[in-house]
Amino acid sequence: MKQRPPILWIVVALNLLVLVALAFAYPHLMISPGPLVRGHEELATDCFACHAAWRGASTQRCTECHAVADVGLKTTKGVPIPTRAVKVSFHQELIERDCIACHSDHQGPKLTRRSRKPFSHALLKVTVKEQCSTCHAAPKDTLHRNLTAQCSQCHGDKAWKPATFDHDKYFVLDRDHQAPCDTCHRNNDYGRYTCYGCHEHSEAKVRAEHLEEGIRDFQDCVECHRDPRAEPEKGRGQDRGGRERD
Amino acid sequence: MPLKARLFQREVLPFLASFALLALLALALDGLLHLFDLLWVGRWLGIPGTLLIIGSTAYSLRKRKLIRSGHPAKLLRWHELLAWLGSLLVLVHAGVHFNAILGWLAVWAMLINVGSGLTGKFLLDRSRRRMEEARQRMRARGLPEAELEDQLYWDSLTFDAVKQWRVVHFPITLAFAVLAMAHIVAIFLFWGWQ
Repeated sequence: MKQRPPILWIVVALNLLVLVALAFAYPHLMISPGPLVRGHEELATDCFACHAAWRGASTQRCTECHAVADVGLKTTKGVPIPTRAVKVSFHQELIERDCIACHSDHQGPKLTRRSRKPFSHALLKVTVKEQCSTCHAAPKDTLHRNLTAQCSQCHGDKAWKPATFDHDKYFVLDRDHQAPCDTCHRNNDYGRYTCYGCHEHSEAKVRAEHLEEGIRDFQDCVECHRDPRAEPEKGRGQDRGGRERD
Repeated sequence: MPLKARLFQREVLPFLASFALLALLALALDGLLHLFDLLWVGRWLGIPGTLLIIGSTAYSLRKRKLIRSGHPAKLLRWHELLAWLGSLLVLVHAGVHFNAILGWLAVWAMLINVGSGLTGKFLLDRSRRRMEEARQRMRARGLPEAELEDQLYWDSLTFDAVKQWRVVHFPITLAFAVLAMAHIVAIFLFWGWQ
């Protein structure tokens, strides 16, 4: 007599069939590595809207809806997007079209989020990369308003803050020099400075003291007084070009 | 040493230690990958882990005579080792990094399977030891043949426990295999391999 399959087998097989069926019915719960970003929520159960079978999500699929020329400028329905502080339209200036390199539309668990690749300025065409203002609006604060220097003199391309400018390379700001920038850099002109902005260093007093030592060229103070705690080096203060002062 | 304490040390402790070691090693390796920001390594460990587990099934095939070569006892040792190592890699691969219910089910099925496998190992070792002890006792006592048969019959019942366990172990393995396969197919279907 043929042996009948034990009830345990039937129960296990039925359960597995149900589970596999659930994977087809609810792929966003059973298979998806995380909920989709807000803009793509309606695609949650339509995996093949973005994924090509056996090949994964591809840039070609993205650009079928998101025309590269319109990214950051218009929505997929053609509605203009208001300009933001950082222009999203840098997408038109990327050296390579690889949407998936930066965008993972599945919001994974917290622990995996840092594995995502962030935007890198290295992905921009050189002409755009070197012109920060093509994407970034210049800050309108008093510190930056009239600045003509290159952003890269003070800021790295990883983050705006902390600024990488090292004031100590030019002049050490010790406890007696914790003054507002404008005290030394009048009118926010950081290409120039003056030491006569505070009562300690009146022009008449500085002139008298230097002439008494036989120093006639004392216009560029930091050439000798780079560190206010240190004595000026002997023999310096002669024959200099140096910076302009007010 | 009292009998209960000896039993615990000889039979229960190795079983628990093997399971605990698996969990602790998986946590330690996963922690290291996080510490050194090497999460991508964990993502790929599923492949060698799966291959090791597939390799471990050589014993199951041999026992069912689906393959003819290989010494069953040696294959059993390999089955235990490869399945344990493969499970370790899959556990590190799984970590706590996925949302999909299917993935979780596959991992739980694997853990139940490992637990079941270790239980089988425990039952088999115990049966083997008891049979051996019984044989030696009988030989020492010089029992007549009929009585020896009687004793061996009772001892063979401990092997029945192994048989009964096998009835449970195989469906668990089937559940794990189907869930793992569904997960693997889903990954092949949706993952960007290029």
